[in-house]
Amino acid sequence: MSIAREFTKGLWEIIPPFRLVLGLCPTLAVTTSAENGMGMGLATTFVLVCSNLLVSLLRKIIPSKVRIAAYVVIIASFVVIVELMMQAYTFPLYQALGIFIPLIVVNCIILGRAEAFAGKNGPVASIADGLGVGLGFTISLAVLGAFREILGSGTLWGHGLFWEGFEPFTFMVRAPGAFVALGLFLAAINLISAKLDDRKRRAQS
Amino acid sequence: MRDILKMLVVLTAICAVSGFLLALVHDVTREPIEYSRLKFVKEPAVKAVLKGYQNDPIKDRLSILVGKDKKGKPVNLIVFPAKKDGKTFAVAFESSAAGYHGDIGVMLGVDLAGKKLTGISIVSHTETPGLGARITETNFTDSFKDKPMDKELAVGDINALSGATLSTKGVVAAINNAQATLNKYRDKMVQ
Repeated sequence: MSIAREFTKGLWEIIPPFRLVLGLCPTLAVTTSAENGMGMGLATTFVLVCSNLLVSLLRKIIPSKVRIAAYVVIIASFVVIVELMMQAYTFPLYQALGIFIPLIVVNCIILGRAEAFAGKNGPVASIADGLGVGLGFTISLAVLGAFREILGSGTLWGHGLFWEGFEPFTFMVRAPGAFVALGLFLAAINLISAKLDDRKRRAQS
Repeated sequence: MRDILKMLVVLTAICAVSGFLLALVHDVTREPIEYSRLKFVKEPAVKAVLKGYQNDPIKDRLSILVGKDKKGKPVNLIVFPAKKDGKTFAVAFESSAAGYHGDIGVMLGVDLAGKKLTGISIVSHTETPGLGARITETNFTDSFKDKPMDKELAVGDINALSGATLSTKGVVAAINNAQATLNKYRDKMVQ
């Protein structure tokens, strides 16, 4: 597969929360606004790209019996770096995301990509894979966050959208709203991909 | 045997390198983290009590050693100076005293030349909601404005809250504690 292919597969074929259905904990918890979703996505992307690169560079040195431990150390180090950087330069975002930043360590997407891809492929392909999957994750979270923010608080990116007296559907920014929104998105994505598959099959026959 | 040795060496090396890297990042970000913590947590209170300054009080903050806690760790008082034309004309710092339920933390601004309060803001408290918690309301805190800082403040001097005598007394006591602090460390605050 070409490098571009490694990159684009993360945007649709294996877009993390919708197709792999991985990393749902932050997906459900932080998407109360588009900004939070995007911030979380970018932090995860940074960790994913860095850990993919390092895992791929070290893949021939790390003995396979201790590979998971080694991956976790690498991932955890990058997460702590992200956490310190966020505290230093984007404190309000750090406060909004809270406990979910340290929890990037146990995000299945990152360990999953390290194990399934970076541990078997070269550094350039691994960076492309990390960028693609990370960007897919960021876009998913931002879109999901925007959807919930528009309905739940009547704003987008903190700006009011509706007329005065609009009663926001607060349910959507609460925890149950996260499940409902994710369910709707999963259904929509499945519907679209079923349609696409159908068309492909018909074109072939 | 060789396998086990290799595992040990590789894992130890990875941990050592990442430990070193983290120590480095921690060192670099320590200053900005302290700054942004103060900026987002304390700045609103500092802005409420100091007016007319041209500097960044958070950036120019002073740490004054005021003693040690029970474990022997040094306790620092953080002072936010307000400067005009490079000279400190007022300072803001925190003071606390017991209210009805737990300590009340008060950020207060002091005009150094006039020896009077420029304003106060309640930064932390656990008073009863609806009663003692009214100490955060502006018609209470505004009554501290321009009160002298060179003689003891009494409850009668300010707009005391009815039904929240102990909370009111707590805030007044915090101001009086601050007077003692001011007298003791005044020279260090204006450097």
